[in-house]
This record gives sequence, structure tokens and C-alpha cells, in this order.
Amino acid sequence: MARVYNWQIGREMSYWYPESRPQKQFAAVFDINKCIACQTCTVACKTTWTSGRGQEYMLWNNVESKPYGCYPLAWDLKLLDMLNGQEWTGNRYDGQTIFESAPAGERALGWRPETQDYAYPNVGEDDCSGQVNGGASFSMPHMNWFFYLARICNHCTYPSCLSSCPRSSIYKRPEDGIVLVDQGRCRGYQECVRACPYKKVFFNPMTGTSEKCIACFPKIEQGIQPQCFVNCIGKIRMAGWISKPENARADNPIDYLVHIKKVALPLFPQFGLEPNVYYIPPIHVPTSFTRQLFGPGVDEAIRTYRNAPNDRDLAGLLCLLGSSEMMMPRWKRQGDTVMGLDEKGVELVRVPMNEPVHIRPAFDRLYQVQRTNCP
Amino acid sequence: MRAVIWVLIMTMLLAAACRSPAPRSNEVVAVAAGTVPADPSDPIWRNAPEYAAKLLPQDLVDPRLMKASTAEVLVRAVIAGSEIAFRLEWTDPSKSDLPGAGQFIDACAIQIPARIEPDLPDPQMGMPGKPVEIAYWRADWQASVNGREDSIKSLFPNAAIDHYPYDAPPLQPGSPEQQEFAKRYAPADAVGNRREGARPNPVEDLLAEGPGTLSPATRTTSRASGVYGQPGWSVVIVRSLPEGLAPLTRTQVAFAIWEGSLDEVGARKMRSAWIPLAIREAE
Repeated sequence: MARVYNWQIGREMSYWYPESRPQKQFAAVFDINKCIACQTCTVACKTTWTSGRGQEYMLWNNVESKPYGCYPLAWDLKLLDMLNGQEWTGNRYDGQTIFESAPAGERALGWRPETQDYAYPNVGEDDCSGQVNGGASFSMPHMNWFFYLARICNHCTYPSCLSSCPRSSIYKRPEDGIVLVDQGRCRGYQECVRACPYKKVFFNPMTGTSEKCIACFPKIEQGIQPQCFVNCIGKIRMAGWISKPENARADNPIDYLVHIKKVALPLFPQFGLEPNVYYIPPIHVPTSFTRQLFGPGVDEAIRTYRNAPNDRDLAGLLCLLGSSEMMMPRWKRQGDTVMGLDEKGVELVRVPMNEPVHIRPAFDRLYQVQRTNCP
Repeated sequence: MRAVIWVLIMTMLLAAACRSPAPRSNEVVAVAAGTVPADPSDPIWRNAPEYAAKLLPQDLVDPRLMKASTAEVLVRAVIAGSEIAFRLEWTDPSKSDLPGAGQFIDACAIQIPARIEPDLPDPQMGMPGKPVEIAYWRADWQASVNGREDSIKSLFPNAAIDHYPYDAPPLQPGSPEQQEFAKRYAPADAVGNRREGARPNPVEDLLAEGPGTLSPATRTTSRASGVYGQPGWSVVIVRSLPEGLAPLTRTQVAFAIWEGSLDEVGARKMRSAWIPLAIREAE
């Protein structure tokens, strides 16, 4: 094992390969507070990439209702249980990552879901599957809150799917950091399925190889955001490029949200993969729960997010989410307008921070008629 | 009554004597025959001595098999013309030949150095500059050759599927256009690496120069046939005679067994050391 630096856990850690960061790293920010679990992202991905035989159960993008929803079943709870309780000191993770706690003979701590674990995505998570009889009730540890967690492959800096493949069939593209399974080389050992803590690699029983989210790289190569981003009706997502913390740029929207304002956090940083999808945590959920998911920065992130009405730059940048199908590697704010820019500073989109509101009287004096709202 | 018991004992002893006519050998000896037997139950196999190849867990490279499973594989070999056939038999109480997430397949493999030379490649998949040739057989491929058609409906009878885009009109079922469109949704198929589905042969020829370097041979010329019964699998793999192997020369052979029900796949396997492989001419 090599020693590599993982800024999300504030220390060096062990990894199968030496540190080799791509020229650019694909990254994303998801604002959980805006997600309504409409599953449009899920369907957009499904119809684009996984409509084939053997892909029926695959959800490269899924949205699950936390704290109890999960796909596949207990993907997070099982690994947390295997890792056991671990500690942070400030922003430094003192516990063991999945690489450091790998059992003898394995490259990472992991487990492999069974077929049945994929059988019930979202069924019954936040809707009734039958009539509730009068007086029926249940009691759970978390009774009065929930939130929706949209998940795709994290295109990790230290992917455990990649490091666990004994055939080196998984690779990370040097030009954009997207992690892909080489479909010509994979022999279907499912080591990647076992090792990915997020369970975002899926075995296709009809082709006998493993498949995963490709971050819509044919679109990314043209400067367009992936399907699950541009179809999001809640406008919760932004795709872009993330720098190392020491190279963070204030005019890079992902850097700004992740490194400068620290309002977007990685999912389970303690696993040690340096995942590159960052979440603005839900503000209504007890932080004793969200700290486990997003690490020790949760309280600060929520304070910052709640203060957005007083922070024009942060509020402005949040208005850019979902405003264009184009990747926006740069941004700037001018007064009450925020702009998404390309690498050269050319404007791609312009968004008002306050939508103009027009109020029309109910009675139209010109035509002497009552106005009605109709579609 | 005593006469009946006597007859019964004699009958059992006679049957036992008829079942294992070939002696055990301390190396794999391929005996010459008119043709190579393609069927594990072919009586020609009785002429070949049986070698019990002891198996070890693959525990040298990660991921390792940490717990031993299949203890040995019984091997017989026959040559005819330019071909050599191996009959592998091992105990397997559970047949595993269905593909699926978290499911693994019974399999076996034969490994032979690509060249006959004094310095042997590593027995674990060869080494750089010293390649090995591998013939790899899988139980689900055998099922396919035997006529089983795996589909989502057969694997998951309760599955409900609305629609596959490539099955919709105006595409004609089975037309070149329809098949080409279907490949968009089966990327491994599109690049010629389909590992499941209909296939004509349950074995594939491979080359390796060390762990993790396994790659398909230019083309598969081996053929195989496997049968499951008591006490487990009997598989015949016929491959071309190793180049340079003659009655007065020897090469080496190694074997590997994967027990699917124990999640054995890839590097997680039971494997043998190199075993001498000799040829005995017809008497």
C-alpha cells in the first residue's frame, strides 16, 4: 500500500496505488434542502443509460429517503457497522478508513449485496403501500424528520472499486477524473461491487460484467452537464471541477462552495475515498445524524447556509444551480445578477437573484372584466 | 441365507473392482489413443492413469482465498494426433451455474507453460516474459451450450419489465439494425466481451504473464464438456498439444478449481502447483 494525502480526513492514509490526481477532477454539489425526491434524475439516467437487459435493477442515480431508505438495502449501515465507532479530532479523522481496515487477503473492507438487497428501491419509504387502519402507528428512533439523499457515483479521488480490481479493469481518466469500467477487460469478478462503499457498481447478469455511472462523459466532453443534473426540476445540482484545497479559486463555483464557504460536504468522508459529490446538508435534521454522513463540518455548513440571505455571493451562487445545461467552471456576481462563465470568462448564463414579481389587479379596468388564473 | 449374503458381498467387490481400473500415478501421464474423448464418461478414460492433484488456496496475491475448499482434483489425460484431452473430476456438493449479483459460478482451468524450457514460469499465472496458456471452463457456459437460455424472466420469474428500447417497432426482431441498437445497452457486448448469454463453447483460451494479466488468446481452439453429478463435476477439456511436447519430453501442468457457492471467483480459487506432464505412447 502507498501513502496518500486525503484532505477530507485531514491526514495521510494508506491506498493501493500512489497519489495520482487527474488534470481536472469532475465534482458536483447537491443541495439536499431543495430535493423533493421526484426521481426525475433517476428516470433521466435510467432511460439514457440502463434500459438494457441485465440493467433492470441498476440505478446509477437513485434518490433515497433518509434515515431509513437505502439502495441497495442497508448499503451504508452495514459498512458503518463493520467499521465500528470511529472518532474525529477537529477536522482530522482518527479512525480507520476502509483501506486501513481491510481484512487479511482483501484490498478494502467491504461486503457484497445479495440479489434481494436490490429488490425494493424506495418502496414504502415515504408513501403508504396500503390503507392505514385507524389507530395504526409505529415507533422508530427518528420520528419527526427525514430528507432525500440523491446519489450517483462519487468519482472518488481514491476509488476503492478501482483499487480492488485485480485486473485493473477500472480506471480514472486523467483528463477529468471520471471513473470508468473497461467493458472490454472486465471479467465480472464483482470485486468492485464488494469494495465500493456507496454500492454504485452493479453487476450485469446478462453481459457478465460490472457497470457504473459514467458521469455522462460524452456530454462532459462537450461542456454539458450530465443527464441527472440538467433534468433536475428542483435545480439542486451543479457539476464542475474541484481543485485541491490549497489551489481553491473563489471564481470556481465548486471550489467556492466546498473549499471557501465550506457549505458543501462529502458523503461519508471517513470511508477514505475522497468522494467528489458534495452535499449541502439538510438544515432541519439533527446534526448528531448528519455528522455521521458528512463529517465534522456539518454545523458550520448549516450556519453558513442559514446565513445565505445575508451573504450575497453565496446566495447568488446558489441561484446558479440548475440555471444552465452547460458546465460553468467560473462564475461572478454583479449586484443582484449572477453569471455562469466558461474557462475564458465568456458568459454562459445570467440569472437574477430576485425574480421580478408583477401583481395584476383582479379587475381589468381596460376591458372591464375580472381576470382569472387559468393555465 | 448365508449363500445370499455371500453372493451379495461378491457382487459388491466385483463392482468396486470394475469401477476404478486405472492405477494412481505420481505425474500426469497422457496416454495415446485413436481419438481424444470429448465426453467425461467415455470408457477410454479408464486406460489413463489417474493423478490426484492436491489443491492449495490462492493466498499469494490479493484478493486471496483465506479458507481452503476443494481439496483435490482427479486428473486423467489422453492424447491423439495434435490434441490432448484432460478429464478433471472434483467433489462439489452444490451446483452453481446461475449468473447474478453476488452469485458465482463453478469453474476449472488448466494451465501449461507457453514454451517448454528448463526455467518454469511461476505456477501462479506465469510471469513477465514467461507466459502461460490457460483453458478456462465455466459451468454457466456449459449450461448455455447444453441449451439453457438465461433471461431476466428465467432468473427472476417475478420480474416485471415494461419495455426495452431496442425491441420496439419499427425495428424488426433479429434484424441487423435491431441487434446493433441492442448493443448500445450492452456495452460489454459492443466491445466483444460478452461473458454471459448464448455461446457455442463452454471454454475459453487465455494467456497470462503474471497475476492480473489474463487476456484472451487470439482465438479459442479448445473445446470442453462438463457434467454435474455425484460427487461433483466431471469436465473434459481438449486443447492443442503443447508445442514441442513429445514422448521423451516433459512439460508441466497446473489446475485451478472455483467453488461458486463459496464466492470463489478470479483470484479467489483453489490451485495446484506445477505437476509434470508426460506422454505415454500407445502400447
